[in-house]
Amino acid sequence: MARRIIIVGANASGVEAASAARKKDRAAEITLITQEKTAGYSRCGLPFVIGGQIPSFRDLIVYPPAYFQMLKLNLKNETKVTAIKTKEKTVTTVDKAGATETLQYDSLVIATGADAFMPPIKGREKQGILSLRSLEDGEKIDQAVKDGVKSAVIMGAGLIGLETGVALIERGLKVTIVEMLPQILPQMLDADMAKQVQEALQEKGMCILTGKTVEEFLGDEKVTAIMAGGEKIEADLFISAFGVRANAKLAVDAGIPLGETRAIKTNARMETDVKDVYAVGDCAEAPNIITHKPTCAQLGTIAVRQGKVAGINAAGDYAQFTGILASAVTRLFDIEAGVTGLTETAAARARIEVVTGAISSKTKADYYPSAKPIKVKLVVEKESQRIIGAQIIGGEEVTQRINALSFAIQKQMTVRELAKADTAYAPPLNETWEPMVLAAEMVLMKLR
Amino acid sequence: MVKVDGYEVPEGLYYSNDFEWIKIEGDKVRMGVTDYAQKSLREIVYAELPSVGTEVKQNEPYGTVESVKAVSDLIAAISGTIEEVNEEAQSKPELLNEDPYVKGWLLVVKPANLQAELANLMDFAKAVEWHKNQAK
Repeated sequence: MARRIIIVGANASGVEAASAARKKDRAAEITLITQEKTAGYSRCGLPFVIGGQIPSFRDLIVYPPAYFQMLKLNLKNETKVTAIKTKEKTVTTVDKAGATETLQYDSLVIATGADAFMPPIKGREKQGILSLRSLEDGEKIDQAVKDGVKSAVIMGAGLIGLETGVALIERGLKVTIVEMLPQILPQMLDADMAKQVQEALQEKGMCILTGKTVEEFLGDEKVTAIMAGGEKIEADLFISAFGVRANAKLAVDAGIPLGETRAIKTNARMETDVKDVYAVGDCAEAPNIITHKPTCAQLGTIAVRQGKVAGINAAGDYAQFTGILASAVTRLFDIEAGVTGLTETAAARARIEVVTGAISSKTKADYYPSAKPIKVKLVVEKESQRIIGAQIIGGEEVTQRINALSFAIQKQMTVRELAKADTAYAPPLNETWEPMVLAAEMVLMKLR
Repeated sequence: MVKVDGYEVPEGLYYSNDFEWIKIEGDKVRMGVTDYAQKSLREIVYAELPSVGTEVKQNEPYGTVESVKAVSDLIAAISGTIEEVNEEAQSKPELLNEDPYVKGWLLVVKPANLQAELANLMDFAKAVEWHKNQAK
């Protein structure tokens, strides 16, 4: 009999799992179940539709209906999974018409993602607080802008908050960002690096208030202002970007254990503590490559890598997930920022002693017109002298350097090896001495 | 040729619900996959095709097409006996991405029951409508 694979969730990790499973098992019955109307779209692209760089939300659909049909993937959209029974190996669903169904599985992949998080702030039940997680969320924000809103308050200075803030400024709004922590991008950058990004954003007209907690939503039925750090801030549009939390309720109800990050616990094959049940993407945790501690970094790149591994295993083959470095990049106006591995702050939290080195250089030969600034910061473990983290801010060419440093970290390269690395050069493309190599030399000087 | 939602739909071809096109060339029929199909599958790396002389049947699989991330059966749009197989497309499967309607053709068959089977396919106008509905 054909193997029955059920995947709960049909975005980054879910569709990836389904595709990988199909590649391994051409005969399996593969079913994807999603509550959303649209499957297989890119959440990461949402801010760039709002900003106007991408013409339409529909352009974010990475996997059109033909994809599911050609791969013989049975897609049930606008369908909710209400229960998983791991002993009987069934999932129960209810569709939008209210019809329930119980489906049998041989392998189950939980790819339920994460939900926008709202802290218990006074007045949070009031209307008019938007978030940016789904296509529909994006359309609501876009519609508000079309309706003529003039100002926005965004709560949270993480990637989503800032990317949305930039998009709204590009649409002509006055934007205020409120962040509880003393710096922006706290998960991504150390304070010294974040400060540079913050200054660049402020120069473009973004108002950024750090170290301010949102205390209350003001207004009668609809929010018209917030209280933050004792200050009243009025606006036409309010967007919560406090972060996301693993959507693990189905797993909890089914008795599938969570880990210490409150996301679903997995082993190296992305299998949960229950046999034949896998968890991937924003709802799952997996080890960090450096600290070996469970991590739930909630990035699209991790979601697809995990989805592929789970799909292969769910189809009866064998694959391992190699762990998380949480490499991430963003572009905010004309500044790019990226990270891989641990920041200095994260290393300290993990009790890892480090030596850091930072260097400011140019993206082309210094004499070449239009060379842009670039700053590379390396985080090196003191004893082994291995590189364990890097952050880069620059006008261009950040991403592939982050990727190169990610490879270096994964291959456990020492800072001494990086300082001697063979690199390429041409004046219109980069500097003679590669900035990553110069940053390594900085670290070596400190280690002397 | 029109573009529906970015997908090319040329005139003069017939289309199946399984993302294949056929072109009638005298008493023979050339077939391949549509632009919508190749764009959905993305970077195609392999096309497994039957050999000359093999019979294909309408609505039944005759081969597979594999991309970096996906794999799909190829479903015959009409029945017939294979007279030519595009060997270039087998050695350079990226032709299916680059030029699905011309250089990326897959088979030439001698149709078994063309007139009757055409009724199961879409002409240009119907295919344009169908592509519009798919995209919704």
